[in-house]
Amino acid sequence: MRARWLPCLIAGLLAGPLAAAFPAAPARAQVDTSRDTGTGEEAAPAPAGEAAPAPAAGGGVRAVDLYAPRAFGYVLGDAFSHQVEIALDPAFTLDAAALPRPRAVTYWLELREVRLEDLGRHDGARRYRLHLGYQTFYAPLEPKRLEVPAVMLAATDGTRRVEARVPAWSFLMSPLREVSGAAPGEALRLRPDAGARPVPTGGALAQLAAAGGAGLLALAALAFQMGWWPFRPGASRPFAAAARRVRRRLDASAGEMDSSSTSPHSSSYAAALLELHRAFDASAGRRLLADDLDGFLAARPGLAAAAPEIRRLFAASRLAFFGENIDIAKTCLPAAELGGLARRLARLERRG
Amino acid sequence: MSAFAIVPPPRPARRSLSLPRPSVRRFLLWATLAVLAASLIGVGTAGWRLARAARDNAAIDALAAGRDLPLGPAAGPEAAMARLHFLLLRGRLDEARPVLAAVVARGAPALAAAALYDTANARLRKALEHLEVGQIDAAIPLVRLAKDSYRRALLIDPSFWDAKYNLDIAMRLVRDFPQLDQDGEEPPPEAAKRLWTDLPGIPKGLP
Repeated sequence: MRARWLPCLIAGLLAGPLAAAFPAAPARAQVDTSRDTGTGEEAAPAPAGEAAPAPAAGGGVRAVDLYAPRAFGYVLGDAFSHQVEIALDPAFTLDAAALPRPRAVTYWLELREVRLEDLGRHDGARRYRLHLGYQTFYAPLEPKRLEVPAVMLAATDGTRRVEARVPAWSFLMSPLREVSGAAPGEALRLRPDAGARPVPTGGALAQLAAAGGAGLLALAALAFQMGWWPFRPGASRPFAAAARRVRRRLDASAGEMDSSSTSPHSSSYAAALLELHRAFDASAGRRLLADDLDGFLAARPGLAAAAPEIRRLFAASRLAFFGENIDIAKTCLPAAELGGLARRLARLERRG
Repeated sequence: MSAFAIVPPPRPARRSLSLPRPSVRRFLLWATLAVLAASLIGVGTAGWRLARAARDNAAIDALAAGRDLPLGPAAGPEAAMARLHFLLLRGRLDEARPVLAAVVARGAPALAAAALYDTANARLRKALEHLEVGQIDAAIPLVRLAKDSYRRALLIDPSFWDAKYNLDIAMRLVRDFPQLDQDGEEPPPEAAKRLWTDLPGIPKGLP
């Protein structure tokens, strides 16, 4: 059914007098050839015309040059842009409020974009560059010349107001399709739908990979700085290593029922004391005795905050190893405080 | 005691050689923590985006398989586009209008252009169905709406060739004509006679 009468409908349109008879159809647009020199390619635009001096201008506007793209080979829906170079007398400025607004200029022509660049004053003139973006929605059945109407701009020096005219520009539009399709119904066969597409996940995956990689690197750097696994503190962090060993010793001592029944040197408490002493020795680079503490702490101001506890530690070990009395040593520095001191020293060591 | 009396030759502590100054170390520690926090935020947002994309893609697959499911307000524009397409394919044009508005308002320009184009296609297809059975009055507004949507799609993307092609088809069905700007005056009778309809009737007597 469609195939039988729809082509007739189209044929009616083609032959129909309606389209041709419209008074405002742009076929009759008069083209001023003196302004129609802008047929250069877009890459090397030529001035399309000089502004006709406005009758009421009386100076003010020096030049309005239109740089337009090629004036042929346009089809329905094509966009093109005009660049207008405007030179005014230095005292004048272009009235931005009088610029055209993006709108439908005519039923087939859309003004998409209006952008004004102020180029400032040079060569004794105030210069502007105006970008006008158009889009044509004319659907010609045969090549047809259309005209972008002139645009009126206004300039003012505070007292006087003059008009600047961007010349009209004519161009040639071509049909997009043949008049009647080769096969019946061809003329009404629509292009397929765009349809739905899945949400692209590439960007999110890339972000995940980048952020995850950065996070792992930061975690590794943090582990290195804090002496976490796998960056065990070596000789450079004796207190961190000692703190861990002291904790192990003291945990073991919690299992001992009666520490006084064992010999002082095999007691876990004494072993923990020794661990800390070894850490002090490693930190000082030599065997450190109680009498050397003042010089040692002066060289390491970071550890000075724990000076009283360190002195108690040395006092306790003197009692433990030379007094052979672990219990009295424990009253001087209880096991819990020993573990706390070891952790505190490791923390102070990390801070430097 | 003699063991304690042996003093090894003094050597500088290794830590002062291998590690930077305390202030620099503190700064490095804070910088590392900042990078770690920023990357955690990055991982979190990426995971959230992926979860949303997975949910939307599941909805898109379901709609493509022909199962209608109403979308919540949290659904992304791509899922809304899938539902729009679902409705348009079944000729539910009135239901599709708010969905189209949502896609155009929230979708990327390419997606908005595609949604407008698909809507215009559905309207034009419906208009052609009306024309096949001779319902010209019902077809004209649909063609006008289709043209308007094609035009909006082309305003978003002037290089949308399928939209140009289908707009050309719609333009030949119902042509655009200039608005009569008579400054309030009545159009002359000849103009009124020539303009009384956009769509000529079936031409008679032509081969």
